[in-house]
Amino acid sequence: MMTIVLGRLSQAFLLLLVMSVIAFAGIHSVGNPVFNIVNIETATPDDIQNATIALGLDQPFWWQYFLFMKNVLSGNFGTSYIYHLPAFSLVMSKLPATFELAVTAMLIAAPCGTLLGLFAGRHQGGLFDRIVLRASVFALSIPSFWLSMMLILLGAILMGWFPASGRGTTTVWFGMEWSVFTSDGWRRLTLPALALALPNIALIARLARAGTIEVEGQDFIRFCRAKGLSPQRILFRHTLPNISIPIVTIIGMQFGGMLAFAVVVETIFAWPGVGKLLIDSIQLLDRPVVMATLTFVSVVFVGLNALVDLFYAVLDPRVRLST
Amino acid sequence: MTTETLRLLWKSRREYCFNLSGVTLATYLIVAVTAPFIAPQDPYDPLQIQAWEASSPPGSPAGSGYVYWLGTDGLGRDIVSTILYGLRISLFVSITSTLIAAFIGLTLGVSAAYFGKWVDAVIMRVVDLQLSLPTILVALIAIVTLGPGIDRIILAIVIVQWATYARLARGVALSEIGKSYMDAARLLRLPRWRVILRHLLPNSMAPAITLIPIELGHAIALEATLSFLGLGVPVDKPSLGSTVANGFQYLLTGQYWISLFPGIALFALIASINFAGEGIRHRLDPRSRSHGL
Repeated sequence: MMTIVLGRLSQAFLLLLVMSVIAFAGIHSVGNPVFNIVNIETATPDDIQNATIALGLDQPFWWQYFLFMKNVLSGNFGTSYIYHLPAFSLVMSKLPATFELAVTAMLIAAPCGTLLGLFAGRHQGGLFDRIVLRASVFALSIPSFWLSMMLILLGAILMGWFPASGRGTTTVWFGMEWSVFTSDGWRRLTLPALALALPNIALIARLARAGTIEVEGQDFIRFCRAKGLSPQRILFRHTLPNISIPIVTIIGMQFGGMLAFAVVVETIFAWPGVGKLLIDSIQLLDRPVVMATLTFVSVVFVGLNALVDLFYAVLDPRVRLST
Repeated sequence: MTTETLRLLWKSRREYCFNLSGVTLATYLIVAVTAPFIAPQDPYDPLQIQAWEASSPPGSPAGSGYVYWLGTDGLGRDIVSTILYGLRISLFVSITSTLIAAFIGLTLGVSAAYFGKWVDAVIMRVVDLQLSLPTILVALIAIVTLGPGIDRIILAIVIVQWATYARLARGVALSEIGKSYMDAARLLRLPRWRVILRHLLPNSMAPAITLIPIELGHAIALEATLSFLGLGVPVDKPSLGSTVANGFQYLLTGQYWISLFPGIALFALIASINFAGEGIRHRLDPRSRSHGL
């Protein structure tokens, strides 16, 4: 077990290292951040020169990367060019917003999707099954930014039920700002969470349906029926545990994806989360923040994948992990 | 194989969802090709755009005689024409990038299986690296590195998508390599590239072909998303996605038509591709037929 965990960890570490080189080279080739920092109209060539030296941008590329890695290993991602705050704590300050959004979306998507899939798969080819199947294709076809905009149009502009953007009042809890403790916060959370949840409901429902169809045809389910168990009991006590592996996988991966994919939804709803920070920083060429955000998102994503892998063994004793 | 395929598709002609998606796709293709002839206005030509008619609601009459059936956008461009021209760009970008990605991915996957050893190791590690990161993240890094422009966005989508094909094709190719026609091809001393491209590739393609509609839908959505984030196609040549994006700032003041109609066009396009793809997969894969997937 220990070697497996260590093997996974070293793979993940290598992945992150390669990732950081690509991202660093990428952000390096985009443009010169100095022009976003000095005032172009009034700056003299000397000012630009001084700013470049102050940011360490006059050094060769490989040396900049070396310095960056050296600082990262001591937990320092540098200081944001724009906000003049440590880049990593800036990312951390945006984390609660993204986290509560992703958790709320998953809390909507996982039960809804699983239930839809279970009931659709139980009567394969029935009316409910066909409706779920068709609806899921539609739900997966909606581009997320358009879905968000239509939710704003419907829920905020035409009906006026929910505010269109922003996070509203937040309460401080464990030194971080949360909006799940106020009713205003919940009203603002509803639309973006729905926008993130809808495609996931469809995805989870399709997986659960496919799993249910496969499991329901097996002997042990027939045995349960012969024993006279109620259909509900068979569905929830015998079928559900047997289809849980793919569902847990997709929940884990989608949750990691949400922390990254929330980019679009956060931008539209002006939700001050990690995704919005990433897009803003890319546009402002704020290199330390871009690197800190990318590293953080990758760590979470890779970490979640590894966690899901290990979780298999808990869910299904037949799974033997190999490196 | 081809007649069998056609027969299966013919047998399913009564399924309205599949048919409807086919008709929609055909309409889209015809409309995209003939856009310059049927669009009431050339939205890329500043001389044809009346700035004072900006943000007219659907149905308002235009100064030049016709009616803006779906309204105009914030710059005074006719929405119907913008959809028609945007469709051209969306389809061009997605079809080109999907085909390039499929070709590169299949070739690399098959080569990895054929050569084995370090070639296999290098290609598959890169595939693993890519598939373990979220698509949008890879696309963002790629587009940020490459810069804006239509050719760059195609390249970014290729970078995102090739790995899926490579992994699938490698698996199939591994089982094909042991077959006798491959021994025959090698015994005939055919050059390596010929064995790979003319013998191994066509025989390992079948499962990957069913991926193409899915990836095409993804490509359209990805192009639209990147354009929406302002990292995609240039502003003066809007795709469907960037037209929707341009309408966002007007949405909050109630000018819903700028985003609504191009969005419906985009949504219908992706939905028809997905339905058509699902239908084709359902019919061509006997295993999924028995499972009803």
